[in-house]
Amino acid sequence: MSANLWLATGNFFTTYKQEQRTFLTSLDRSVFTFFLVLLFGWPLVFELSNKYMLVVDNVLIAIVAVMGLNLVTGFAGLISIGHAAFVGIGAYTIASFCQTIGESHIIITHFWPVLIVFSGIVGAVFGAIVGLPALRLKHLYLAIATLSFQMIFEWTIQFMTFFNQGQTIYVGRVFWFTGKVGRSDHYLFWYFIILTIVILLGFGIRNLLKTRYGRCLVAVRDNDRAADAMGMNPGLTKVYAFALAGFFAGVAGALHAYVYRGVGFESFTLHESIGYLAMAIVGGLGTLNGSFWGPVAIKFLDLQVETLAEIAGQYMPSSMNLATALKPFTFGLVIVLFLMFEPRGIANWWRIIKSYTKLWPFRY
Amino acid sequence: MSYFFQIVISGIVVGSIYALAALGLVLVYKSSRVANFAHGQIIAAGAFITYYLTVSLGVPIFFSFIASMIITFFLAMSVEKIFLRRLIGEPIISVIMVTIGLGSILDGLIYLTPFGSENFSFPHFLPQAPLSLGGVSISWTQLVGIIITFILIGGLSWFFKKSTIGISMRAVSDDQFGSMSVGISVPKVFGLAWALAGLSAAAAGCIIGNITGLNFDTLHSFGIIVFPVIILGGLDSILGAVVAGIIIGLIQQFSSGYLDGNWGLSGTGEVMPYIILVVVLFFKPHGLFGIHEIERV
Repeated sequence: MSANLWLATGNFFTTYKQEQRTFLTSLDRSVFTFFLVLLFGWPLVFELSNKYMLVVDNVLIAIVAVMGLNLVTGFAGLISIGHAAFVGIGAYTIASFCQTIGESHIIITHFWPVLIVFSGIVGAVFGAIVGLPALRLKHLYLAIATLSFQMIFEWTIQFMTFFNQGQTIYVGRVFWFTGKVGRSDHYLFWYFIILTIVILLGFGIRNLLKTRYGRCLVAVRDNDRAADAMGMNPGLTKVYAFALAGFFAGVAGALHAYVYRGVGFESFTLHESIGYLAMAIVGGLGTLNGSFWGPVAIKFLDLQVETLAEIAGQYMPSSMNLATALKPFTFGLVIVLFLMFEPRGIANWWRIIKSYTKLWPFRY
Repeated sequence: MSYFFQIVISGIVVGSIYALAALGLVLVYKSSRVANFAHGQIIAAGAFITYYLTVSLGVPIFFSFIASMIITFFLAMSVEKIFLRRLIGEPIISVIMVTIGLGSILDGLIYLTPFGSENFSFPHFLPQAPLSLGGVSISWTQLVGIIITFILIGGLSWFFKKSTIGISMRAVSDDQFGSMSVGISVPKVFGLAWALAGLSAAAAGCIIGNITGLNFDTLHSFGIIVFPVIILGGLDSILGAVVAGIIIGLIQQFSSGYLDGNWGLSGTGEVMPYIILVVVLFFKPHGLFGIHEIERV
């Protein structure tokens, strides 16, 4: 093969198998390995306080959730304004275990990987149920149907005494091979676990999009009638897209429950749903690496705005309540600016950088 | 029995306000296919502007009502001109997210003012004693509110049906290219649809503010509850918005009147509209009065 293994300057594929490789060039593979080493290695060198480690964990959980949202909204083109409710379903699966068998039962502390997967499956089942209207509904009608699900979920949690009416339900500390995960390593431990899950799920999506099931999603997004004519089943595909999103959200919810060691209603409101949508948009809808950039950007922005509000609050009269005002303002501004000037999101910058380095020093 | 009629009356009062709020959304959707998620904030802004003009500047409430409608008319028009016009032809999710972002920006601006966190109430300008008819009582504020609502709904639907601009708006909603070729300025129509939506939102905000008092969260939540209303009515039907508004209002009042307190239920008024909406959508996917569009590959 005459193709350059490091920098492919054209399309030299002669078989479908070559096109379906995970890494197209050696450069891709080494960049990926570099990032992997960096992500797993930095906590060993730097030590972050628990407060910031929690933020990092939070970002990773959001990445898991946004990957799911990106599947249903980005790839399958179905707007979901109820994603936080799916995340909530994952978290409340763990919570209901805690309520029935006690928060430090051996199943919760030792068999947590099983429970995380189980929460994902529960999320997928709910996703499929909520996706059922997609068999007949389209566009905005469907979006509002998911909004209805969000509202019904919020009400149910606040109403049911089994779920403590939305007050915090505690989740016990987990065990690892080395013993109970203590207070000081809690967030670090979960950083590694969630990072592993993110990488596994990321590969999962990447491979899924190369199979007929993944391409089905894109075909249905682009034109569901044409997809129907080509022998796909658009209705089934839509339900299946919702189920997939539900699985990702369920996993994210279970992780949320374990990392915060508690489940409270306020993490799964309509506001959070909109936050996930914003992350998907800022990252880049319909791209896999957009699901990584979006949560990082939005959470980082949140953190910066909080610090800024604290500093500015010292010089302003306290009646102005700057922190509550600045947060929605910057959040909205970022969404609007991105949609107006970079509708393809941060993933597009990544693409530009990639093509720039590929062609360097020659340019168009 | 008078309890029943009392609930019917309050359902109609709430429902007609929903109808008025939903009308703005239907107007915007009908002409430009945009679902405006910032409607609640415009409603709140309209109410706060009226309050500010009446209480702080001492303008008579009737004039400040008109003035706030004019201000939101231009506010909504400029929002369309600055933000939404660039997004014509973009996918529906981008447009929805822009309106959500705009709503968030307006949230931030309103939180900067005292209106964001404190409660206010309009000065009383109508008789305090409620009107009572055979055991069913209705306050003057509600009565005047409902009358203004129906005048506005009637006026706007007349405008839409009979006036030249209204007819050109309907033409644009039917076929953009066709209406362009007969000399209708499509961007102008979009701007006007937004402006009328802003106007009706301000009116709805004032009426809600007079009935329930000014609280940002309450006013803001109207921007969400109008979605079940317009979807139930069918997105592009004015009649649908009015009928669905009253249906949703009745559902809310009946469920909070009869369900709450029994079987340990509470707050069912919040969730019942959504449950009914999902059930109705299973059988009528385009709402009660929506047009079933024929789609081709």
